[in-house]
Amino acid sequence: MTTKPESQTRPDAATAPATPPTSPTGRQAARGRDREIAGEPPDLRRPMGIAARVETFLRAQWLGTIPGRIRAYAAVALVGVAALLAVLSVAIGNARDGVQTIGHDAGPRVVATGSLYFALSDMDAQVANVLLIGRQHDLGIGHDEALRRYEVRRVEAGQAAVQAAQLAGDNVNMQRTVREVLDGLGRYERLVGEAMLLDRQANHAAGQLPQQVIDTYRRATDLMKMELLPKAYNLTLDSGATVRQSYESKRTAIESGRTWVVVTGALLLAALLVLQVYVAGRFRRLVNPALALATVVAFVLVAASTGLLSAQAGHLRKAKEDGFDSILALSRARAISHSAFADESRYLLDPGRADTYEQTYLDKSLAVLFVDPQGKPVNLETYYARLPEVLRGFDPARDRGAFLGFFGDEANRARPGLETSALNDTLRAYQKVIENDQTMRRLATGDDRNAAITLRMGRDSGAIKDFDDYDRALVRLSAAHRDAFDQAIKDGDGGLGGWNLIPVGAAVVIAGLILVGVRPRLAEFR
Amino acid sequence: MRTSRVAAAAILVAATGLAGCGLSGEADQGSIVHKRSLVIGVKEDQPSLGLKRSDGTYEGFDVDVAKYVAGKLGVPPSRITFRTTPSSAREAALATGAVDMIFATYSITAQRKTKVTFGGPYYVPHQDTLVRADDSSIKNVRDLKGKRLCEVLGSNSWKRVTEERKITATTVKARNYGECLTKLLAGQLDAISTDDLILAGFAVGRPLKIINSPFTDEKYGIGLKKGDLAACEAVNRAVIQMYQEGKAKEFLDKWFSKSGLRITTSVPQFEGCT
Repeated sequence: MTTKPESQTRPDAATAPATPPTSPTGRQAARGRDREIAGEPPDLRRPMGIAARVETFLRAQWLGTIPGRIRAYAAVALVGVAALLAVLSVAIGNARDGVQTIGHDAGPRVVATGSLYFALSDMDAQVANVLLIGRQHDLGIGHDEALRRYEVRRVEAGQAAVQAAQLAGDNVNMQRTVREVLDGLGRYERLVGEAMLLDRQANHAAGQLPQQVIDTYRRATDLMKMELLPKAYNLTLDSGATVRQSYESKRTAIESGRTWVVVTGALLLAALLVLQVYVAGRFRRLVNPALALATVVAFVLVAASTGLLSAQAGHLRKAKEDGFDSILALSRARAISHSAFADESRYLLDPGRADTYEQTYLDKSLAVLFVDPQGKPVNLETYYARLPEVLRGFDPARDRGAFLGFFGDEANRARPGLETSALNDTLRAYQKVIENDQTMRRLATGDDRNAAITLRMGRDSGAIKDFDDYDRALVRLSAAHRDAFDQAIKDGDGGLGGWNLIPVGAAVVIAGLILVGVRPRLAEFR
Repeated sequence: MRTSRVAAAAILVAATGLAGCGLSGEADQGSIVHKRSLVIGVKEDQPSLGLKRSDGTYEGFDVDVAKYVAGKLGVPPSRITFRTTPSSAREAALATGAVDMIFATYSITAQRKTKVTFGGPYYVPHQDTLVRADDSSIKNVRDLKGKRLCEVLGSNSWKRVTEERKITATTVKARNYGECLTKLLAGQLDAISTDDLILAGFAVGRPLKIINSPFTDEKYGIGLKKGDLAACEAVNRAVIQMYQEGKAKEFLDKWFSKSGLRITTSVPQFEGCT
């Protein structure tokens, strides 16, 4: 027997298994064609229509002859190969989609929309700085620098809004929210322009704002706080929800895909073993080498792909939980911290609302890092006292649940090493920021507003420098998670390399080996 | 020939289909988003928010919001069972599954978030102060200095004035807000300070006024079983729609417009689903 006929056989052999012998239609058709082909010896080398071959096959099986049996077993094994290939393609497709969505499409875009909240919030903070320092242009980061930052943030807000609009896709509610944010931003800028003009005309000393400026700024900052910021925040949450849902569905799909691979793989191996035993037994051989090799290849394929799918589910989990979730949570913590820091400026510039801004500062601080007041009144005084107590000698591994809020979640999540040390740095810097707040408020309520303003707005010392240290530590902490995210996505991409072709190649090899193993035996019956 | 070829193709497709089915994966199992009917916990003694009528049904802003949100989850009012859920029993009721959701002036706090997943907030009320309509001496919380403030048993609201802000008001004890109200009208105390929505419910139809000088942000959240993120995301989307469609304004106007309270008709900043 030469190899030539085998290559002829392959295409029809691959289609044959698609028609199981039990199919009523198939059987009926086979019966109908009995007359035409009765007596003709089955000759696979003769060019023949696919249907005719199917019928020949079925007839042989139906008759229960040895070649019929061999063909049937071989067909079952080939169906198994096809099924495994199908299951693998779907499962690997899911793994690929998962990495694509979390790592390259929606994931990074959601992180980008997070900067919308930050940019808007910082715009308002810069306005507060400009208005607070008045004609003393060298206070704080300086009048011109504050204005420059305002412009930068405005551009960033616009870019983030575009990302959000793209993420919204055909979700009309989200699109509408993006539009409302942009509309609101227009109104906000108009109010800010008005406040800045009045401020310039007043030409006041730092912290001595005329009521007219305060009133106009109140309208602007209320619009920001009540309408723009909540919508921007909700946009990121909502698009983050989409990512979570697609992550959950992809992860479960990969896991159930793995189960399916194991089940179909086991069935294929069983079919190959039955075929092996039958062929070897009938022809008094110990082993059929081609079939044995097919079994080994099938086993390796199932084992490798099961391992691959487990690893991919792991990479995806890492990217989502160690990376994405933390990055998003920390970007919210950062935005809220900046906005709290701006509440200090607002507290100083608008004494009429000092109580309100003190309360929002407390609320924001508690959102970032919540300490149990232990029965004491929930106010800044308690917070100042409790924070050092809780943070003194804090060890994330030991003191789980010592505090709540964004940093509490982060403390539970941070892994030893880079993340934990970055977290500890951040917490130390945060404590310094809160200490400055305490000093600043003590000065302001002790009728030394100028000292308070100098502390808050002093350029290379004081509150701004400490806050910048805190901000840098927070960015480093976020970068540690960014690295974990990038690594997991890289592993996910790398792990899938070649898996376009491997299942197909292996399936072709297994099917080929089955035919190589079976054909010479069948030929003995001609 | 043709028939068998078609049959073969059909079976191939069916086999592939079979292999594909079950591979897509079903996430978020056990979430209440898939439920056909819902049990919702509300208050029974808060006028305009959650109040039990004599016929056993409930009314109020919380009830209307609950109906709207449930509707967006595909559950019509006919398949909602409202149940009175007192403040002390809320966490347990969610954990055991006695109720599916809670809309009951349920403030989101960091500590509660460790036991409950919060959707929303669907509204951010502020602590404000209720005084007699003819009293012009109290314009903001600082003016409570030296005044008589109602101290309700088991409530924290008065502490926010006297302890958190250290405003030296004289507190007058009362068993509940009903008693505060009677005493305020009788001139036995000068002010009641708590969530403005609660005050608004009391103010309607009485010679009282809210001073509209808010000094805190509360967050009325939608209580959900801890970990049901799918439900949290779904109710958040419903709340966004409630504001976009103007329904939130409609509900707020219906229950609070007569009280003279300044209401917010823009969607609040959500807490995030954890």
